[in-house]
Formats: sequence, structure tokens, C-alpha cells
Amino acid sequence: MSVTDSVKTQVFSLISQLLENKSLTVTDDMPLVGGESVLDSMKLVELCLSLEDKAAEIGFEFDWTSDAAMSRSRSMFRTAGSLAAEFISQIKAKK
Amino acid sequence: MIVVTGASKGLGRAICERLIEKNIDVFGLARNVEDVPFASMSCDVSSYESVKLVAQQLKKEGIKVTSLVNAAGIASMNLAVTTPQSVAQKIINTNLLGTIFCCQLIAPLMLRNKHGSIINFSTIAVALGLKGESIYAASKAGVEGFTRSFAREMADFNVRVNCIAPGPIDTSLLKGITAEQINKIVSQQIIPKQFKPESVADLVELLIDSHSDSLSGQVLHVGGV
Repeated sequence: MSVTDSVKTQVFSLISQLLENKSLTVTDDMPLVGGESVLDSMKLVELCLSLEDKAAEIGFEFDWTSDAAMSRSRSMFRTAGSLAAEFISQIKAKK
Repeated sequence: MIVVTGASKGLGRAICERLIEKNIDVFGLARNVEDVPFASMSCDVSSYESVKLVAQQLKKEGIKVTSLVNAAGIASMNLAVTTPQSVAQKIINTNLLGTIFCCQLIAPLMLRNKHGSIINFSTIAVALGLKGESIYAASKAGVEGFTRSFAREMADFNVRVNCIAPGPIDTSLLKGITAEQINKIVSQQIIPKQFKPESVADLVELLIDSHSDSLSGQVLHVGGV
């Protein structure tokens, strides 16, 4: 498994831990915001805090407040896949 | 640690001094902190990037932020039609956007602890619709609206958000206002007297204390309206 795949799996695992419906499988196109979101706003903030912790473990600072991150194709939170992609992109940018 | 904006002078400074007297750790923010004799950092609250640098620094140093007091503010007593565009913009940027930016970027430091108190500042000019303060009042009405909604957003995280709305408190913000004008405003308060910064510091003390755990999304008018 590549480093990128491994990080993506870890991000999906953090999302999975916050799901009310534990039978759901996290997929790339699972919406995290909007009417069909699987997470409420409180869980979304908790996810951001978990991602900050994960980033600290890996050795970088996850920025979920930057304009660049928020406006890139609208929002990094639109799907689980886009969030994982943003997380990975921030790891690469900090290296 | 309590973060206080506008810490170099006026109400912000008075609040910091009161908290320090009570042995509460304070971290002051102001554009110029050269003469600030306690822990502080330079910050222009109207700049998102400047506030973000502060939030990053607090996080990096592992400082546990328990409260945020958004006391930074500017005023310009003028009719709206004679207020230059640049001044109008500056008032909105500092008073409204400055408060929003500080809440957006510093509140996440409290969410992790599931505990905190945020105090924003409005003015009695909002409730009284004071002549010559329309732009200032507009910026502060925005702060009141933001406070009420933001309080709901923070409630799940046990972070309370309230607003203090002083009348004409004796600070540098009142320069250029005559005693007659001050008396006219004060006479419209329920308690018709000019309060001192200490009375505002009393309310700050109350709002950061667990004795006010039942208060959120409220606007407290100093002197009453």
C-alpha cells in the first residue's frame, strides 16, 4: 500500500468512527456537507479536530481554515474523497 | 488563558488589568503592544491572516484558551452622509469583521476542551438608534446578530457566546464627544449615569465565570435600555 493510500485509509477511518450508522462504508463520494451529509455540523468539527491530531502525529499542521483549502472546487468537505485528497495535498505541500 | 483584543488601551486594557488583578492569565492582542506590560502579541483584528498567526502561535505554544474577549473597536461619530468611504470601511472591518475573524480562528482552540466563553462588544447606540453613530451602530448591530447565531453554533461544544453593550463609558473612544452629548445618551439608559470601565470589567468577570453557565447568545446593556 502506498503512503497516499495509507493516509487516505486513516482519514476514512476517522470519518467512520464519527458515523452514527456504523453499517455505512466510507467511500470517495460520501458527502460530508449539504443535505445528504452523513455527519452533522458538530461531527464535522470533531472530524477537523481529529484530523489536526492525526496531522500532528504525522508531523505537519492541518489547516482547515485557509481560503485556498475552502475554495478549491468549492469546499474540501464536499466528499470524503475530497477531504482525504486535501489532507494528502497538505502533507505533500509541507514536505 | 484569556485572550483579550484591543488590549493596549481603553476598555480592553481595563479588562486585562482587572483579570490580572484576579490572578487570571491574560494574553493581550493589539496593533501596537510596545507599552503592554503583560503577555501580548501584535495583531490587527481586521486582517484574517494576522489573527490566524495569533491562533497558530497559541496552538503551537500549547496554550489552553478558556475565554476570548473581543474588545478591539473603533468609532467615528459622524452623519453617514459625511463619513468618508475609507472610514466606513475601516469601522466595519475592525468592529464586525475583526470580531468574526477572532471568533472563527480562536474558538477552535476552545472546541477541543468543550468549554469556553466568548465575549463580544456592541454598544447602546444599537438599541437607542443614536444620531451620528449610524455606521458605528451598523457594525455593532452586525456583532449582535453574529453573537446570537454563533452562540447556537458553539452551544454543542459548551462554549458560550455573549455580548456586552456599553453606553458612553469614559475611555478614549469618547474623544470628540461633548459632555452635553454624553448626558443626553446617558439620560436614555434605565440607570441614567455614566459608567466607568470597571463596571464593564465586572460584567466580563461574570461572563467568564461558571456562575453565568446559563447565559449564551445574550446582549447585556450596561445601564440598561
